[in-house]
Parts: sequence; structure tokens; C-alpha cells
Amino acid sequence: MRGIKFSFLCKEKPPQTGKRVAIVGAGPAGLTAAGYLVCKGHDVDIYDKMPEPGGLMLFVIPEFRIPVERVRLGAKELEEEFEVTYYPKTKVMEGEREDEGDEFYERAVRLSELRENYDAVLIATGIWNVRRIGIPGDDLEGILSPLELLFWIKGAELGYVPKEKVPDLKGKRVGIIGAGLTAVDAAFECNRLGAEVEIFYRRTIREAPAGAYEINILRNRGVKWFELVTPKRVIGENGRVKAIELLRTRLGEPDETGRRRPIPIEGSEFQVELDYLVFAIGMVSTPPVNGSYIATDKRGRIVVDSRHMTSVEGIFAAGDVVNGPTKVGRAIKDGLYAAVSIDRWLRGES
Amino acid sequence: MERKYLYLDYLTCIGCETCETVCDFIHDGSPHIRIYVTENKQYLPINCKHCDDAPCVRVCPTNAIYRDEDGAVRIAENRCIGCLACLQVCPYGVPFYSLKVRAITKCDMCADRREEGLEPACALMCPAEAIQYGPLEMVLELVNERRAKNIPEHQRELSDEELRESVSSGYVLL
Ligand SMILES: Cc1cc2nc3c(=O)[nH]c(=O)nc-3n(C[C@H](O)[C@H](O)[C@H](O)COP(=O)(O)OP(=O)(O)OC[C@H]3O[C@@H](n4cnc5c(N)ncnc54)[C@H](O)[C@@H]3O)c2cc1C
Ligand code: SF4
Ligand code: SF4
Repeated sequence: MRGIKFSFLCKEKPPQTGKRVAIVGAGPAGLTAAGYLVCKGHDVDIYDKMPEPGGLMLFVIPEFRIPVERVRLGAKELEEEFEVTYYPKTKVMEGEREDEGDEFYERAVRLSELRENYDAVLIATGIWNVRRIGIPGDDLEGILSPLELLFWIKGAELGYVPKEKVPDLKGKRVGIIGAGLTAVDAAFECNRLGAEVEIFYRRTIREAPAGAYEINILRNRGVKWFELVTPKRVIGENGRVKAIELLRTRLGEPDETGRRRPIPIEGSEFQVELDYLVFAIGMVSTPPVNGSYIATDKRGRIVVDSRHMTSVEGIFAAGDVVNGPTKVGRAIKDGLYAAVSIDRWLRGES
Repeated sequence: MERKYLYLDYLTCIGCETCETVCDFIHDGSPHIRIYVTENKQYLPINCKHCDDAPCVRVCPTNAIYRDEDGAVRIAENRCIGCLACLQVCPYGVPFYSLKVRAITKCDMCADRREEGLEPACALMCPAEAIQYGPLEMVLELVNERRAKNIPEHQRELSDEELRESVSSGYVLL
């Protein structure tokens, strides 16, 4: 197997410009930007809080979709042939905030420090927080975030997480709320580990972001699919999840996303017994700032101009941290175009 | 020179759109490999298969479409009169008329890159390694190795009925 060729635009390291770029976040957006920039002769250092580069592709997306080796070899090639330096286990942050995956970092660096020490900075830190739903009982033991769960499973396979940390799901009843890529991957992994999985979604299969194709494969594997239901509260026993209380919904007029809005039907409550519950209802951008230093919008995404530059001159941003949850291809596109802008800016063209 | 193949393995493709993105990037916004989304939200990239005995080559009245020494089916834009015959006969709807060049445009297995000793960008960047480029033996070996080791587990378990359905509708090209 060969690695992803992030430096697909050139054959070998060109003459050096002497300009230094720091990239925060070694997911597809950051690594692709690095590939472009090294082909333009810039010197690139990549900071990431995880123990090795790859982002969600390596630590979260199941192996059956993207081979670990393909990601690893790709990152290694940047290091060995283009002298990219990785600073793993290093969280970059201006201010304070706890995100998923924080247990792995050992050093912290301030974003403003990077701005001072480099000619340009690219932020590509993705969406490493999950949205909380805010219903009674959503803090009980046995409620798992999808990132946490997928992370433990893959982290254990990669040797970063002790096997004991992965919950024994064999024969357990796992409920998953949501119907996007995250929900589907969580369902695949729980099903693979022997759990009885049920997906709860407030619309119908037609509106499910993951699509009927993936969901039907899951159903063929024994995963149950409840459509038109929304969680009302989580019921616990001795501090642990015991069941979920759901309300049936019907679809109303289309909302701003063009999909028909689910309307809960009063009095339709019913309960489903569970051992674990996963809320896969959306992930939130995690810029390396908390409220100040660079501008973010009300959903926490970094605001950029047409050059992918943030409100601080010389700091650029790309990928899910700017766009919210997307797909690998979109993150790569963003990384490429941000890198084009950085190169132009470093050469004084815009 | 030995003929090269650009093979897209739909069993390992995850529909991430990276191939279209990088192709779009190197072709100024006109990707030659395109993602089509089916009604049930499968994301399927369609690329030129550089067919044996390619119908587009056969039908072109001006011989503007030809096979180059690596095996890529290419178009000599200056000979294209825009009759769209190739577009009619291509089973995958690959060739498209470009208003920019005023001729048919299509995947040429990254001809400009090959001249510099680089390989097609989509194959190099596909995270799932679903696109293989090289001599037939190499492509087959890599595809078989990847399949044996790591066929997407869920796809291996398609029921007979599902498989038939997907093959007859052209989704999975085995
Ligand atoms: C469960 C799941 C399944 C998915 N499945 C698919 C799929 O099948 N196909 C598909 O195309 N897409 C899929 N996606 C989406 C895809 O993974 C993302 O869109 C893509 O990875 C985004 O790339 P990125 O580079 O912007 O961010 P990421 O890949 O998230 O990379 C961000 C990097 O930044 C690091 N980081 C974060 N904060 C800091 C900090 N403060 N300091 C230092 N480092 C930091 C992280 O450790 C990480 O390495 C899936 C996503 C999830 C969650
Ligand atoms: S890059 Fe690969 S996995 Fe992604 S859509 Fe294209 S062929 Fe499929
Ligand atoms: S353009 Fe169509 S007919 Fe011609 S080689 Fe490509 S896939 Fe075959």
C-alpha cells in the first residue's frame, strides 16, 4: 500500500523560500495544505494535540472505510521527503477550553506565540466537540459521545487506549440518536462489537443525512431503525442509563434546511430499555481560541475572508473548523485553496 | 511503453469527494471525474474508463480522440469540431463540451502531469485507495490485496438481492 500523496503537485522538494508556516491540526485539511506549501518551497511545522497526524481519518473513521496505513504512510512521506516537522501531543490554544481528545496532549502552545514565531499560520483544528442535547438525564453514566466511543475503539486498535477502557458491548443494548455519518459509524462499530443497536431519528429515512444506502446496510446487519421519534428524557437507575423516553414526531413544513420539520406529538411517549446511549446529533467547531483573539461566529466557526484569512493578519483557517461538519473531500479542497492564498500572501501578492 | 490503467474500485470507494476535488483543483474548476449522488445518497465518482476499443475513439469523425502511449484515451482539441458524437456513445457520459477551450474535454489520465513524471492526482490522493493507476498486473494485484484484507465489511455482506440490484442499476461495476 502507498500513502496518500499530500504533495501530489510536485515530485521533489523545490528550492527553499526561507518562509516558515505553522499548521495547527494534522487532519486532511492541514496535511493537504502542508503538501501544497512544501511544493512551493516553504518550510512547514505541524502542531497537533493527538499522538500522531491524521485527524479524524486516523483516530475516528473506522478502518474499513479508510486504511490506517494509507494515512500513516502519507503523513510520513511529508516528514521524510519534505522535512515537515510534527509536534504531536501539543495543544494550541489562546484562552482555555476542554475538547474531546484532550487526554492525549502533554504540551500547550499559544496561538499568538505561533503568529510571532512564523511567517504565517494555518488553523485546521476541525470539530472536536459534540453538541449536547440538553434533556433531563443526559449526564448519566453510560451516555457516550460518538467521538469518545469511536476513539476508544480505534485508539485501542492503534495501541493508544488500554483495552479495558473500551466498554464491553457484547450483548448490550446501545441506542444511537442521529442519522448522519457519525451515527452510522457508531452503529457499525457497536454492531461489530456484538451490541444490539437501535438508531433513533426524528425524521424519516428519506431525510437522513447518511442516506438510505448506508442505513439499509445497517438494517440488514440487524441494527434497528426507529424513525419519527425524538428523545424526551433519559431514565436512570443508580446513576446509570436504564432507558430512554421518546416522543413520536410527525413532519411539518420545510425548515431553513429545506427538510420537513419534525413536530413532537404530545402524549405519544414510550420507553426503550438501554445499557448505553450515544448522542450523535452534531459536532461543534473547535478553534484554538475561546471567544477572543480571532473572530468566530455564533456557532463557534472561524470567520474567514475570501483568502481564507481570519480576522488576524497572517492567520488563515480551513476545513471543518470553518465550515462545520463536512466530508474529507471538502476539507481537502479547503486546505488546498487556503494554501494557495498563504503562498500568494507570503510572496506579497495579496 | 506498457499500457497503464486507471481503475476505480466501487467496493472500496467511500464517496468522500476527494478525487473530484483534486481533479477540479488542477483543471481550474472543471473536474474530469465527477461525483453523482443517487437517490439513496450513495456518492459515486464516474471517471473515464479509457475503454478497450473505445466507442468514442471509433465514432469521432476527425480522429480527434486517440489513445496515447500510456494507454490514455485523449483528445486533440485542435481537431475537435464539437459534433458531440463521442458524448452520445460513451456509456458513462464522460466527455463534455468545454466553452473555455471550445472543444470536447475529458480525463486524459493527467497527461500534463505524466509528462513531468507525476501520476494522476485522483489516484494519489484517494484516502480509501479506491483508485489505482499502473500496469494491469499491478492494478489487479493491489485491488485484490486491498479487497482480501479490507473489503468494507458491511459491503461484503450485501445480500444477493442487493448485489443484483446494484449491479443491474450500474452502481457496482465488478
Ligand atoms: C464519525 C465520523 C465519520 C465520518 N465519516 C466520514 C466518511 O465516511 N467520509 C467522509 O468523507 N467524511 C467523513 N467524516 C468527516 C471527515 O472526517 C471530516 O470532514 C474531516 O476529517 C475534516 O477534516 P479537518 O482537517 O478539517 O479536521 P480533522 O480531521 O478533525 O483534523 C483536525 C485535527 O486538529 C487537531 N486539533 C484539534 N484541536 C486542536 C488544538 N486546539 N490544538 C492542536 N491540535 C488540535 C485534531 O487532533 C485533529 O488531528 C466523518 C466524521 C466523523 C466524526
Ligand atoms: S477519492 Fe476515492 S474514496 Fe473518495 S470518492 Fe473518490 S474514489 Fe471514492
Ligand atoms: S470517454 Fe467514455 S467511451 Fe471514451 S474511453 Fe472514456 S469511458 Fe470509454
